[in-house]
Amino acid sequence: MRNSVNRPPTPDAVEIQQKRPTLEEIINIKLIESGEKERLMELLRERLTECGWKDDMKSLCRALIQKKGRNNVTVDDLVHVITPEGRASIPDSIKAELLQRIRTFLLQAAV
Amino acid sequence: MSSKINHDHHHQRINGQTSPPPCPHLAEFHARNGSKPFRVLQDCLRVKPPGGRAAIRRDPSEVPRCGACGQSSRPRLYACVACATIYCHASPGPSHAAAHATSMPPGHEIAVDVDRAELFCCACRDQVYDRDFDAAVVLSQTATLKSATIQSSTPENLRKRRRVDYRHWSPDLRERTLMGSGSSPLDWSMDPPWGLRGLNNLGNTCFMNSVLQALLHTPPLRNYFLSDRHNRYYCQQKNGVTSNNNNNLNGSGRRNAGGVDSKNARLCLACDMDAMFSAVFSGDRAPYSPSKFLYSWWQHAANLASYEQQDAHEFFISMLDGIHEKVEKDKHKHPNQGHGECCIAHRVFSGILRSDVMCMTCGFTSTTYDPCVDISLDLEPHQGSSAKTVSAKAHHSFNGEADPINTSQACGISTLMGCLDRFTRPERLGSDQKFFCQQCQVRQESLKQMSIRKLPLVSCFHIKRFEHSSIRKMSRKIDRNLQFPFALDLSPYLSSSILRSRFGNRVFPFDGEDSDASNEMSSEFELFAVITHTGKLDAGHYVTYLRLSDRWYKCDDAWVTQVNENIVRAAQGYMIFYVQKMLYYKASGKQVNARYNDSKGTKGTLNQFCTGQVT
Repeated sequence: MRNSVNRPPTPDAVEIQQKRPTLEEIINIKLIESGEKERLMELLRERLTECGWKDDMKSLCRALIQKKGRNNVTVDDLVHVITPEGRASIPDSIKAELLQRIRTFLLQAAV
Repeated sequence: MSSKINHDHHHQRINGQTSPPPCPHLAEFHARNGSKPFRVLQDCLRVKPPGGRAAIRRDPSEVPRCGACGQSSRPRLYACVACATIYCHASPGPSHAAAHATSMPPGHEIAVDVDRAELFCCACRDQVYDRDFDAAVVLSQTATLKSATIQSSTPENLRKRRRVDYRHWSPDLRERTLMGSGSSPLDWSMDPPWGLRGLNNLGNTCFMNSVLQALLHTPPLRNYFLSDRHNRYYCQQKNGVTSNNNNNLNGSGRRNAGGVDSKNARLCLACDMDAMFSAVFSGDRAPYSPSKFLYSWWQHAANLASYEQQDAHEFFISMLDGIHEKVEKDKHKHPNQGHGECCIAHRVFSGILRSDVMCMTCGFTSTTYDPCVDISLDLEPHQGSSAKTVSAKAHHSFNGEADPINTSQACGISTLMGCLDRFTRPERLGSDQKFFCQQCQVRQESLKQMSIRKLPLVSCFHIKRFEHSSIRKMSRKIDRNLQFPFALDLSPYLSSSILRSRFGNRVFPFDGEDSDASNEMSSEFELFAVITHTGKLDAGHYVTYLRLSDRWYKCDDAWVTQVNENIVRAAQGYMIFYVQKMLYYKASGKQVNARYNDSKGTKGTLNQFCTGQVT
């Protein structure tokens, strides 16, 4: 891309290398590189749509927009409001299924 | 908070939604970066699996991570469009993306979500939209071949039609005298209302009577014939149906000057309809025998000519076809059936369906448009549920028509909207129905999705109650009750809505430029007729329920009675008719028949017989 002269100075890259990557980071990268993360995301989307979670979140967003007015709501506002509610209302079965998938993946990736 | 939107901007509607005007930062970005500021981003669009989501990656195996904190596991990562650095964004928590926008000189506010390919303004902290960018995203997701256009009968066929303001017209003195001498006014306050007349059964002809009753009260069709748009005397004279003409032929025997067989020249289903309209709306209450019409129809559909019970839907299709056939085809160069330019039958009933077939291997999507005069819907497969719960929940559904579809499906009640949902749902074409993919050049498993490209003036929904199984060599009738609303909004089934759910909120019009104006303003429909079938497959009876001035009338052959609307709700709908709530004038350059000019010179055309609100 052009405008590389506008890039922030390179010290950022040096800083990253000095921090040791967390376990979460390592797993995340492994998931992305193998393509498993995409598959898990698709599975998660499917499950959350099936059980009506997506529709519930949509209703929440609509309610918020109606309350605050269409022109007074940003994406960030919506994310901020529905994140805690969303995280709390995910069915346990879906959590279990995804955890199982990740566990299986890690076992097979560790070999 | 969101930036104050400049309300002077022109709010155009794309895909049925108002396209938001750009925030000041986006506007500045455009001004600074010329005509195609996002073109570089387009090269980074990655779509996988085929037909799936679009992401932004510099190279396919890139693992995006925040340039400030090095994290790659953050849920929202944005790439600055100006300098291509990726930053994380959490709100209200620490946002390196917002910090970047404020710390850099102006021009770094616009970023793109790397996982969702959606534009974001870090200063306004809100999503923004750009048409060219969305166009690129949609195109990358459909993976169309760049060289050839695939769509058959593309929207380019649509002539741009301006909408014309309704101009009130009243007759001048000369016209008043003309009307007064040749007609008598209808008294619309009469009770029972005009046009209600029983039809005698001529021998298992309830299939015909039921359809005729519905058509006699289809507002645009009724208006057309009652305003003398198809004058049977003039039509027969034009076709040379007089004994004089036959004698003056030069030797070729049966053919007259028009090149039409003299026997068929007498046959014009529209003329017979005209006669029927005149008879039914004459004020005479004695039941009418549509024998002339039956005879004409037999001649048109010889294979169905018998005294056996026929299928009402089959008759409906055959009849519309018969009206269409008699139109002089030389007047219109390429009569476009889908737009109803050929005959009144298509003008009223014809819509356009869009079919998308997507190859599941490469994502290539093939789109076709087909005209249709009705929509045939399958009933949902039988859902097991105890009788008690069904009746209890049914009561709730009746009272609140805004109930979500889920509730009714959960307790086993079929609704018309449920059927329409199934009709427009993506359907997997299995391994035995592989579709030839032009990109892969082999037959592949595909995903097919239907949607409504153009709504007709009158929507007829045909419920497929007669199941013919060639495997089991038997046919049966599905008696399950279907709930249908009195007012219906078809906008969720339009192509623009269906495609929006596939591609997300994009301001690139999915369906070609022209579709929106005509569709989204007129997607509200009102129920006016229901044809029901009772009994078995081979021994049954058709009855029509008509809604006139918000009262319901049951038309059972020669017997017409007023009934309560709950009777209609409980009836077994077979063909359900809805008419557009608001009819709009369209400007049309074509003049159909000079006879219908009024003295002021405004041309009367097929398009301009509808006025304002439908009663």
